[in-house]
Amino acid sequence: MDLDEAFRNHGDKIVGKWVEYTLATYSSSGFFQRERDPFANPIGGNVREALGKLFPLLVKGAEVSAMVPALEQLVSIRAVQEFTPSQAVAPLNAVKHITREVFAADRERRHFVAELYDFDFAVDLALLTAFDIYMKFRERLYQVRIDEIKSGSHILTDSRCPSKVASEEIQDLRLR
Amino acid sequence: MAVPKLQQLANSVVQGPSLATGAIPTRDWMDIPVAFKAGNYAYPAKKEKVEYLNSQSGLSFPNAREWSPEDEDWKLPAGWQDIILRGLKERLEKFRSLKIFMDCCVRCGACADKCHFFLGTGDPKNMPVLRAELLRSVYRNDFTLAGKILGRMAGAREMTVGVLKEWFMYSYQCTECRRCSVFCPYGIDTAEVTMMIRELLHLVGVGINWILEPVSNSNRTGNHMGLQPHTFKNNVEFLVDDVENLTGVRPNVSFNRKGAEVLFITPSADVFAEPGLYTAMGYLILFEAIGLDYTWSTYASEGGNFGLFTSNETMKKLNAKMYAEAKRLGVKYIIGGECGHMWRVVHQYMDTMNGPADFLEVPKSPITGTVFSNAASTKMVHISEFTADLIKHGKLKLDKSRNSHLKATFHDSCNPARAMGLMDEPRYILDHVVDWVEMPENTIREQTFCCGSGTGLNTDEIMELRMRSGLPRANAVKYVHDKHGVNMLSCVCAIDRATLTSLMNYWNPDVGVCGISELVGNALVLEGETRGELDEGLRTLL
Repeated sequence: MDLDEAFRNHGDKIVGKWVEYTLATYSSSGFFQRERDPFANPIGGNVREALGKLFPLLVKGAEVSAMVPALEQLVSIRAVQEFTPSQAVAPLNAVKHITREVFAADRERRHFVAELYDFDFAVDLALLTAFDIYMKFRERLYQVRIDEIKSGSHILTDSRCPSKVASEEIQDLRLR
Repeated sequence: MAVPKLQQLANSVVQGPSLATGAIPTRDWMDIPVAFKAGNYAYPAKKEKVEYLNSQSGLSFPNAREWSPEDEDWKLPAGWQDIILRGLKERLEKFRSLKIFMDCCVRCGACADKCHFFLGTGDPKNMPVLRAELLRSVYRNDFTLAGKILGRMAGAREMTVGVLKEWFMYSYQCTECRRCSVFCPYGIDTAEVTMMIRELLHLVGVGINWILEPVSNSNRTGNHMGLQPHTFKNNVEFLVDDVENLTGVRPNVSFNRKGAEVLFITPSADVFAEPGLYTAMGYLILFEAIGLDYTWSTYASEGGNFGLFTSNETMKKLNAKMYAEAKRLGVKYIIGGECGHMWRVVHQYMDTMNGPADFLEVPKSPITGTVFSNAASTKMVHISEFTADLIKHGKLKLDKSRNSHLKATFHDSCNPARAMGLMDEPRYILDHVVDWVEMPENTIREQTFCCGSGTGLNTDEIMELRMRSGLPRANAVKYVHDKHGVNMLSCVCAIDRATLTSLMNYWNPDVGVCGISELVGNALVLEGETRGELDEGLRTLL
């Protein structure tokens, strides 16, 4: 019996608790946890899929670049919800504690708690990457806002009548 | 040990402000006040716009003032509770539907998880049932015996400033898309509950600028943009130039031409902003290809009707201009462009507000002879119905390969899909002009998810909110993008063309947004054309 076996044995349970923990950060977590159709429940579906993909990568200590898609799937959503930046990424850290909790409850595998240094390190890397991703999506959001303002749809409001502006410009030209 | 640490971490997350409400949901919903902060509300209407609208005949917009939702004091008029309650009484008597919707909900919860605002925020007050309950609780308190006697035990509560603020928060976190109503066993149209709440708020001067400024522009110049006739005409002529440059054929256009067979009305955004411009070029190419005898109007220069998002009087007034213009020009009928809520107004409200339009003829295609008897009363036919009929009769020469740079999907815009049942015509057109795939079944047709920014919520100060509420739609687009390589999201609504563009730029940056008529314009082979290879269709820069 080794650590890998312990992760294999308890992987689903850990991911399940991790998903539950992450969805508990929403006011209506009951529905987000219950509904399994990813299109009827996009937050629940994306959290479940992202964490499910991320966990084996953390276990094997994969390159950070391999974790990016799953992290983006999770963080892009939390970056536009009303979380503080730390709240947005905090659920990633929870997997450390959840893993310890699950291992500790298993008499035969309890001792693996002392061997989680590499796993913890992988989670730390994921968390740091998540901060970068959070900022990437916040910056994308600002860009979306700028693009929209520049596209001309803002002219609906917050601008003067274009006809009036045009006629004034013509007037100015005549005066010159 | 581990467990207390996990609890501590959980607390650090959960004890922050909850979504949208700014409070921890440990109390009964009635006891949780709303908290306004930058980003969670749309800016209030400018004083001068409200004053202008209030001065117009047939409209009433009292209590114009400078105010902010973040202020404690909203500067409500004296006796505002009475104004609201009298307004509610008047509407309960006038609209039988409202009375039924207030009485018949059994709170079964079928609608609860169907709202894109709920799905994107997790805020319980975005469950349609609870959003309606915001009004229903006041209705119970003042208009039902049980509420008068039992008060809060019967789910009743008094009209207070806190309630009013809650109305403002959540009636502007609803896009009146009506997805919830599809699932209601009683057929309660929660969108109409939102409409009533917004109407009541206007009685005391509470409204948002992104709606009232376009309304005031429409009332003044005939379109949201405030374009005067010469500017509107110039914009269309620019598009005519563009079509000529791209295809070698110069479409024939006319403005305010009396005696034309058809009046064409589309959202002004189509002649003003990308990507709607390309849709408008599609209209020009289509009408040129069949030699349609039609005219644009520089007065009825807007299909959109933000009155729908304001009050029934405003909606009626803005809708009337289209028919007044059709009468003035003496056309036989109207063809309407790719607009969303224009069609809800036309199909569900126009007939009893301004109709029937007896002075017009039932639309009959001059090319195929098809009579659009579905438009027998409103005399207004949808461009997609008109186009699909042309294709069905083999009247258009289409080269699908001209859209080979695209793999499309189709977003059913809420209003055409749910308010007028326009679902198969756009799909029939797509089959003939482009390679395309459907999104998952529970996100299309009657069950389509809103763009998240309809009903005048397409404003940049609430961008995060729009991205949240648009998540269910974007999530389905992402699925077909990843699975089938979809790179174009087509739709038949001008608000969608603007809002989905921003939504895609955030969630799926590789996916563009277009109107169906743009794809038709790309594929249509015009007689006498000298069109070169256009790698990106009408979007190609020459």
